[in-house]
Amino acid sequence: MDLLRFALRKLLAGLPLILGVTLLSFTLMVYFGPDKTYQLLGKNPTPEQIAEIRHELGYDRPFVTRYVEYLRQLVTLDFGNSDSTGEEVNAVLARTIPVSLALELPGFILGNLLAIGLALTAGYFRGGWPDKLIMGLAVIGMSISFLIVIFAFQIWFCTSYGLDWFPVRGWKAENLAEYLRHIAVPTLATMFVALGYSTRFYRAVIVEELNRDHVRTARAYGTPPARLFYRNILKNCAIPIITRIMFTIPSIVIGGALLIETTFGIPGVGKVAYEAIVSGDQPVLKAVVGLTALLFVVTLLITDILYRAVDPRVSIR
Amino acid sequence: MSAAPLLEVDGLTVEFRSLHGPVRAVDGVSFTIGAGETVGLVGESGCGKTVTGLSLLKLVPSPPGRYAAGSVRLSGQDLLAMPESGLRAIRGRALAMIFQEPMTALNPVFTVASQMTEVLRRHGALGRREARDAALALLKSVGIPEPEQRLDDYPHQLSGGQRQRVMIAMALSCDPKLLIADEPTTALDVTTQAQVLEEIRRQQATRRMAMLLVTHDLGVVFETCARAIVMYCGVIVESAPVAKLFSAPRHPYTTGLLESMPRIRDEKLRELPTIPGRVPELHRLPPGCRFADRCPRAKDDCRAVEPQLTTAADGSQVACHHPS
Repeated sequence: MDLLRFALRKLLAGLPLILGVTLLSFTLMVYFGPDKTYQLLGKNPTPEQIAEIRHELGYDRPFVTRYVEYLRQLVTLDFGNSDSTGEEVNAVLARTIPVSLALELPGFILGNLLAIGLALTAGYFRGGWPDKLIMGLAVIGMSISFLIVIFAFQIWFCTSYGLDWFPVRGWKAENLAEYLRHIAVPTLATMFVALGYSTRFYRAVIVEELNRDHVRTARAYGTPPARLFYRNILKNCAIPIITRIMFTIPSIVIGGALLIETTFGIPGVGKVAYEAIVSGDQPVLKAVVGLTALLFVVTLLITDILYRAVDPRVSIR
Repeated sequence: MSAAPLLEVDGLTVEFRSLHGPVRAVDGVSFTIGAGETVGLVGESGCGKTVTGLSLLKLVPSPPGRYAAGSVRLSGQDLLAMPESGLRAIRGRALAMIFQEPMTALNPVFTVASQMTEVLRRHGALGRREARDAALALLKSVGIPEPEQRLDDYPHQLSGGQRQRVMIAMALSCDPKLLIADEPTTALDVTTQAQVLEEIRRQQATRRMAMLLVTHDLGVVFETCARAIVMYCGVIVESAPVAKLFSAPRHPYTTGLLESMPRIRDEKLRELPTIPGRVPELHRLPPGCRFADRCPRAKDDCRAVEPQLTTAADGSQVACHHPS
């Protein structure tokens, strides 16, 4: 019951965030985004045709009316039809979101697990060569642009200049083998880039925890070093680690998916969003932006609940 | 001396890396603790008493610390020469330690039961159920009210005194031969201090375990210990039975410590006596006696030659050229 009240209050507290994000992005869309009118018209349209198209697109209505309409769509989760294809927006999302999840999730989970593992290893051998090696690689990973990594990996793994093991572009997920073949390189690229930042961050958290008194107590009572790391230290580090993981979710959904999906030609929600931005397909954009804001608020809520789960000192009231 | 003592520290030297090169926080410290004996290790902050205490379990953080010389023998076995795996079997079992800050010394994200049964199950080879029962019995024995409920509490839900009692219960869980208590009451309220101290003393007496009480509080030593070792600047300056040390201190530093102790006196003093000057920095020690610059009795030889610890006929020791 406490939990439910807590969740409701958190969601309410997220409302201003959702309003802010949607208002800002909608303003940008309406006043600075591409105008779809002339793409839909033939050559030499008459003023009547223009007016008709603008009316159909809803461009002729006042801004406030359109914004309120947007909020209504967000609440009912009904975003109408795409301006470009006429397809229902919800159908587009239902088709593309699973693809994005299937694409991003393995790399996200593996990347974080690997980062925690590497950070524990580096912390365990702090000052020694494994630590220096891992931290050196992390700096390299952090320093190279995501785009360069993608291109380098495509050339190396997917062309005859390199290993030529995987397809350069495209998406097939009829069976597991095909699926794995298509997500391999995007996953490797995402992990390579995220790993650097995450490992450094997690290692810093772990090493700081190492200096705490309770670690000395554990050692004074004969706790073996490996157990000390994965039990005593890791649980104490859970809050900063969870925070970082949860806060990367929204940026991965939008930023990561957009770049990966466009460069690998994968029909996920990132690619659809990218195309909607370029062509000014407002219904699709409104859905993607609104849902991302919503996702962010929900992520914050889950983060808070997870805090409570790992640290008894945090209260949800 | 009939049998070999329980603990023999011989020439223990611990160095720390610092900006000024290696400094010796503990410099050639030797002492023994017999079975069941209570010894107080006294000195002001930074004199090396905590490092000495931690060294007995080889727990000095390293780096920056390094055991430069000496040995710590527990029942004849040199702990400093022992591999980590061997030490783990001794830590918390034959040698247990209580720390100063019960708030930070316990792990904040595990329950009391979880932390206690961890030790019990590792050293006592107990099952889950047995370990929990044993933990409950231990909590009862150290006088924690409502021990059943406390088992499932987290450290932050307990008071400072209760936390320290949990720490004591944990230390007692494997019936250690020697308990090292590093300022066990310093972080507690004055009223709780006495209770916790009494608990430690009671447990020590009933279990007949030896104890090394590391503290800056001479009153605590007087109340609790049979013998006291006074440290100054990384070396032992005096060691004597408590009654003798308090009635007839031989080293001028001990005298100074005793005089500067706040206590109820017949006449209110205008000012509490203090030891003049300050502790020399460890990387810039004088060639002679480390206390010479602050000593009322210092003569030329004190500034030239470092006094060695000499043992009197009754076993008490002092490191001073001009002891009283």
